[in-house]
Amino acid sequence: MTSSAIISYLTFVYFLAFVFYLVMMVMGRRLPGTLATYTLLGSFAAQTAAIILRWQESYALGMGRAPFSNLYESLIFFAWTLVLLYLIVEWRTKNKSAGAFVTPLIFLALAYASFSPNISSKIMPLIPALKSNWLITHVITCFLGYAAFALSFGFSLMYLFKGNDSANNTASFLRLIPARGILDELNYQMVVIGFLMLTLGIITGSVWAHSAWGSYWSWDPKETWSLITWLVYAAVIHSRLVRGWKGRKIIILCIVGFACVLFTYFGVNYLAGLHSYATS
Amino acid sequence: MEEIGKVSNPVWKFFASVKLTIVFLVLLAIFSVAGTMIPQKEGAMEFVQRLNPTTFNLMDFFGLFDLYHAGWFRFLIAMLVLNLVVCSLERFPSAWKRVKARPSVERTKPFEELPDTLLISTERGYQEALGNCLNLFKKRFSAFRSEETEYGTFFLAEKGRFSPLGVYIVHLSVLVILIGALAGSFFGFEGFVKIPEGETVDSIMVRGGNQSLSPGFEIRCDKFTVEFYENGSPKEYKSEVTFLSGGKEIEKRDILVNHPATFKGITFYQSTYEKVAGKELRIKLRKGLDEDLETIDAEIGKKMELPGKEGFFQILDVRHMGTVPAALVSVEIQGAEPTRFWIFEDFEHIKSRLPAQMINSPKFDPAAFKPYTFLLLGVQERYATGLQANQDPGVPVVWAGFILIILGFIVTFFTSHQTIRMFVENKGKKTVIRVTGSASRNRPALDRDIQRLAEDIRSLFAA
Repeated sequence: MTSSAIISYLTFVYFLAFVFYLVMMVMGRRLPGTLATYTLLGSFAAQTAAIILRWQESYALGMGRAPFSNLYESLIFFAWTLVLLYLIVEWRTKNKSAGAFVTPLIFLALAYASFSPNISSKIMPLIPALKSNWLITHVITCFLGYAAFALSFGFSLMYLFKGNDSANNTASFLRLIPARGILDELNYQMVVIGFLMLTLGIITGSVWAHSAWGSYWSWDPKETWSLITWLVYAAVIHSRLVRGWKGRKIIILCIVGFACVLFTYFGVNYLAGLHSYATS
Repeated sequence: MEEIGKVSNPVWKFFASVKLTIVFLVLLAIFSVAGTMIPQKEGAMEFVQRLNPTTFNLMDFFGLFDLYHAGWFRFLIAMLVLNLVVCSLERFPSAWKRVKARPSVERTKPFEELPDTLLISTERGYQEALGNCLNLFKKRFSAFRSEETEYGTFFLAEKGRFSPLGVYIVHLSVLVILIGALAGSFFGFEGFVKIPEGETVDSIMVRGGNQSLSPGFEIRCDKFTVEFYENGSPKEYKSEVTFLSGGKEIEKRDILVNHPATFKGITFYQSTYEKVAGKELRIKLRKGLDEDLETIDAEIGKKMELPGKEGFFQILDVRHMGTVPAALVSVEIQGAEPTRFWIFEDFEHIKSRLPAQMINSPKFDPAAFKPYTFLLLGVQERYATGLQANQDPGVPVVWAGFILIILGFIVTFFTSHQTIRMFVENKGKKTVIRVTGSASRNRPALDRDIQRLAEDIRSLFAA
């Protein structure tokens, strides 16, 4: 299949983008940053093409289904949404420093999808439970949510790296990272987008489960873990209302939240449940 | 008066804390994690056997094998709800006041210390400049207020006045969803029916209890089909069913995964299927152990004469024991107790796997009625469909809650209460125009808007 070949090559292109961002951060020069952005844009276009190609390939195989139905395809889509969201943030904030923190996640997602022996890139037909119009909306909302939380995680790491503004570090690596106040605000915006998308993801999943399994909520591990993630980020949003809680405490809660996202995504596969088709 | 009552009540004060909300949210998250780590309900069977009795009793006492339905877990949810309600009631009046508030138009303070970009000075006369500014403001804002004084005119436009209410919509929707869930658990049920092809059932097995209920109608499974892809994975499960009332056919429906059918308030979902024995079977009779007599196509409940005319025999039951088809034979001779025994398909082959006392028991001896030996050659097979049968009157309420929570989020996170002010000041030969504003959230977006407004005004008076 051509699409999966393109994806496996792109893994390295994303790694290249990461290297450019890192060089930019370390040397504090403009050029590597520009190169990084163009590399990212180029590989994003190629990845979009690969996803559409995969969709077409499924038609050629007589299945004709959206490429969102197993772990391989979900990782590809997760990487895609993450690039998209990051590019929007970079364009809006005119700051490239988050690239060095986000591109490794993209690279890792694609590398895991393409080179893990446990993940099959074969296009498989849909089992009856997945044959639903809700598949596309459910997957898109969930993964936009995951991507926003991944960016929030990136900003949280940057916040911890940055240290106190008064410490006035001269290293260009830290100088390029925005001030803590800005990071805090960006992080909050990502949490809000993620929280909204996760809520939509849970709702669409719930309505779907109601028609597929007969119950809109059955405490299946994946459902429960998405609720756990929701509760943690609800705590993040509320903690902004507590006086004196801006900053470090919220950042730590955000990192815990992203750990929950990762567990909802991958860890749950080790627990038995109804979502087992997302395992391989 | 109300205010004082609230503040002095320590219980109210305790539950009005957002810190408490975070504690409850985190606690619920932690206990939910525990529920995904400890096997729950049916899944706990195997796990439980590996525990020592003390551990088991302790865990069972705390309901850890059905954690999400345990009393203390629900109590925790109830506490979070109480916290949510008290917090909302505590803060709603001031939010409402902000929504209702009409900020006064004539205020000079917001215009103090503005950056130069928001300050436009023109040589044009006051009346002309005022007219131009008024037209621009009108185009920009559908509703605004203005106030004329002897030294100038003030304008005020407001956007997103209802923004502070978004949070309360979200909180309300959480209540609505939980009320829907509660209604479902009180007034609904989850049940199951297993219907072999061609048969009709009139009762539903209710889950979490051994009783069954009568829905007031019957369901017949006309046909069940399962299709597979070339690689062997399932493609489609389909049950063709007929709903009947008092034996009269009312409605025919196809039930597929993701396509349930609802009849008289009960929804049927394709859930499982299995192969079951049909009513027809083929048996062979031997005399002694090796003299073949005849091969007979039999049917449950049909009496047949024995070859030697000693009497009759009939098949009482056909079923799968494990995976092996089996039939219950009853040989009936006038004036004697009937002889009943089970015969298995491929008996010689499975004999070795059966326990000795079973083989020696006359109940499983195919030659129990001398001189005949009964052999089961084959059983007609058919499917039985397993349908989940649920009734949940809370579902529409939960759906309403979902819609409300989305609306609430949009209002909370994507609208902002913005106040945009313009002051056209008459300075005799000069006219000075100032613009400014305030926003409850997303200040940068408002700043951009104000900047744009200032530029538009400036270009009005350019050259």
